[in-house]
Amino acid sequence: MNKSELIKTLAEENDLPLDEATTVVNIFVDAMKETLREGNRVEIRGFGSFKMKDYAGYTGLNPKTGEAVHVKPKRLPFFRAGKELKEYLNE
Amino acid sequence: MSGKTLTKAEIVDAIYEKTDRNRAEVKGVVESLLGLMKQAIKKDHALLISGFGKFEAYDKKARKGRNPQTNQTITLPPRKVVVFRLSRKFRAELNQL
Repeated sequence: MNKSELIKTLAEENDLPLDEATTVVNIFVDAMKETLREGNRVEIRGFGSFKMKDYAGYTGLNPKTGEAVHVKPKRLPFFRAGKELKEYLNE
Repeated sequence: MSGKTLTKAEIVDAIYEKTDRNRAEVKGVVESLLGLMKQAIKKDHALLISGFGKFEAYDKKARKGRNPQTNQTITLPPRKVVVFRLSRKFRAELNQL
């Protein structure tokens, strides 16, 4: 499922106009992105949590050419599924 | 870094401010959204939110494990796990410095 299908289903299930369902999904996603951009945590009970992780830069090798490549430090969000989501998937 | 955490209540507040619904209605819609997201991950094995990332469910095979306290060997059952794959666009936004 993608974002537009999610919006459509949300509108149908809750008798919402499509533009309102779009607003809901956009605010939800934008709030998570903004929080992570600031380096903060997101915790959605029953679904999961995100936190930002910092990765140090390192010098790696291109496995094909054997050339040295410098990998810059980066920060990436890390997602952990919540207990309810894990249980639901395994029911 | 202020160390603040975004929770469901804050998301409900942010939506409440932008719509004409009351808080209870907004909360209901947010719970419904989370339910649909879970359903999509379970049924389609994937939920793609463009500009953010993709939640993917995949199967883990049964494997032998060991209780480190008792040294007992146990078989861990096969199970489904969820991973989050970051969108390239969002990844670039997070690392543009």
